[in-house]
Amino acid sequence: MPLSRLPRSRRDLHALLQVDLLVNLTLRDLRSKYKRSALGWSWSVLNPLVAVVVYSAVFSVFLRIEPSVGDPSGLDSYAVFLLVTLLPWQFHVTSLTEATRAITANAPLVTKIYFPRWVLPTSSVLARFLTLLVEMAVLLVLIAVLQGHITFQWIPVLLALMLLQLLFTIGLALMISAVNVYFRDVQHFLGVALAPWMFLTPILYPLNMVPADKEFLGIGYRTLYQLNPMVSWAKAYRNVLYDLRFPSLERWLAIVAATGIVLAIGFRVFNRLEPRMAEEV
Amino acid sequence: MAATSPNAIALNGLGKKFRLTHDRNWTLKATVLAGHRVRYEEFWALRGLDLEIPHGSTFGIIGGNGSGKSTLLKVLAGILRPDEGTAKVDGRLSALLELGAGFHPELTGRENVYLNGAILGFTARDIRRRFDDIVGFAELDRFIDEPVRNYSSGMYVRLGFSVAIHVEPEILLVDEVLAVGDHSFQKRCLDRFAQLKSEGRTIVLVSHDLDMVGWLCEQTAWIQQGTLQAVGPSPEVIDRFLDGGTADSPPASETHRRFGGLGPDDLVRSVDLVDTNGHPMDRVGSGRPVRFRVRYDAGRADEPVTVALGLYRADGTHVASINSGAASRAVDNGDGLVDVEYEISALAVQPGTYELSVALHDHSMRKVMERHTHLVRFDVEPTAGDHQNGLVALGGTWSARSAGL
Repeated sequence: MPLSRLPRSRRDLHALLQVDLLVNLTLRDLRSKYKRSALGWSWSVLNPLVAVVVYSAVFSVFLRIEPSVGDPSGLDSYAVFLLVTLLPWQFHVTSLTEATRAITANAPLVTKIYFPRWVLPTSSVLARFLTLLVEMAVLLVLIAVLQGHITFQWIPVLLALMLLQLLFTIGLALMISAVNVYFRDVQHFLGVALAPWMFLTPILYPLNMVPADKEFLGIGYRTLYQLNPMVSWAKAYRNVLYDLRFPSLERWLAIVAATGIVLAIGFRVFNRLEPRMAEEV
Repeated sequence: MAATSPNAIALNGLGKKFRLTHDRNWTLKATVLAGHRVRYEEFWALRGLDLEIPHGSTFGIIGGNGSGKSTLLKVLAGILRPDEGTAKVDGRLSALLELGAGFHPELTGRENVYLNGAILGFTARDIRRRFDDIVGFAELDRFIDEPVRNYSSGMYVRLGFSVAIHVEPEILLVDEVLAVGDHSFQKRCLDRFAQLKSEGRTIVLVSHDLDMVGWLCEQTAWIQQGTLQAVGPSPEVIDRFLDGGTADSPPASETHRRFGGLGPDDLVRSVDLVDTNGHPMDRVGSGRPVRFRVRYDAGRADEPVTVALGLYRADGTHVASINSGAASRAVDNGDGLVDVEYEISALAVQPGTYELSVALHDHSMRKVMERHTHLVRFDVEPTAGDHQNGLVALGGTWSARSAGL
């Protein structure tokens, strides 16, 4: 971006980031989501609740997966162990699923009015992020009850982690929402890819259950496994909320690098595909 | 950025092409198999367009269906990018391409005003300041906190128009939107245009309504098949368009005087008065039966058509408007010419000269495909033994009898 186009004042920045449009579209998303349903917002609580009950039954009771004991927290609860990674994962899934269709579903808008198109997938991710914030707040209370004291000092670290995940997800959402305008295969592919992606991320089991001594084509299973960027987030969330420990430096580096790369590619792909969107959508 | 150019809009060799793929839903697999070359035909919707629209002018764009008018507006609005040449727009621009396009049916009118305003580039503070004006202009004070899915199409469109018009654009693009709303709302829209005009703002109006273009616009451009045919003072350009545009249409009879006239590109082929046996008439007696017959080309319409008729007295008084609603759906699957008839058992108007306007809409009545104002003129003749004045022929009968002492 040329220097002359960098924002010079708060108002410029406000306009560049389309703050008003983002706020309004995010509110539209949140307000209309549970309109005309009897249970309304209870649905957003029911979803993780059912998941925790079912996954706990299957993986903890039937398959007897032992959660790692929180070090140094001493926590030993499969439900909490699961929730600290499941909530961010569900944010990941719903964001991407909804953002994929963010442009195609708004075709009447895109073909009739000009506005920066990137706000559509971004606002749909933002709406899910607000939901995640609420869910995480509830989870913090739950952990505080189990721990017997509130772990305030971890909140800034958690927020930093969530913010990075938000940017990472926006980058992915920009990419797939733009490509989906041209190839509707993306939304179907996503439906297929998300389930295996979850099982290849340490959400239902601890990372140390992935064998470190076995190799595939000369590369260790564990190394291969960690190519998945979501592994870093899962591990970092578990460090902060379950172990109550600061994630390692390399973990942070991996997360920041993944975020930067995906965001940069996301914007590039989007800008490249934006000009013809109104014709192809 | 100060206005550095004398022109609000400057087009230089503008061209826009579309790809016509044979299968719209081409997939990744098809692209990979075809080696990155999906087969498509190119179609130039606009080509080699040079046009300058000065700041503060009111500019009309006319042309038949499919001539490229709407594509041009979309390029100006930034929705489509030109493939050739340049389109320079100098100033804050607002486009009325479809009213209420950004509305979400489940949200209230109030929420939608803020949402739509933000889409059009307003900040929340801007809208708060103008909110009462917006709602007042749309006459929706009582319904503003209702979800817009409960709005009538008229209310929907009024609110959309009101938001767009209050953005205070330096350049306003209008695409045929005035055909919606009732008469008094249309009048207020025109007043508002006149006000914007007097404030020195630039208005670009795309319309089939030649009367309105002639009345509102100083300059007009006529576009045909994506190229500029004529540009200049509105009356001259409109005359040239009528000469060129109606050359192939059947000659108009004396009584069926055509104002806008029907062009060869128009979907409407004819509008006639016929008697109950289907024979054409050119006059009808007050209180007598008559049918209005509209023939249109359903094969070329993009979607099912609802026919709307407007009956006016020659002095412009609006007598009645009707639309075919559900009745026209029965023949939608036909792909040739369709006749839609409106039968009146007794034409309850006083003798005089009347005019018919015709519009083709989609079924939702939101979109106007075509509109011909004052297309047909005919006389209503006095019926023997009738003695009354005013607007309506009441059609009653007199009787008198003694009421006793």
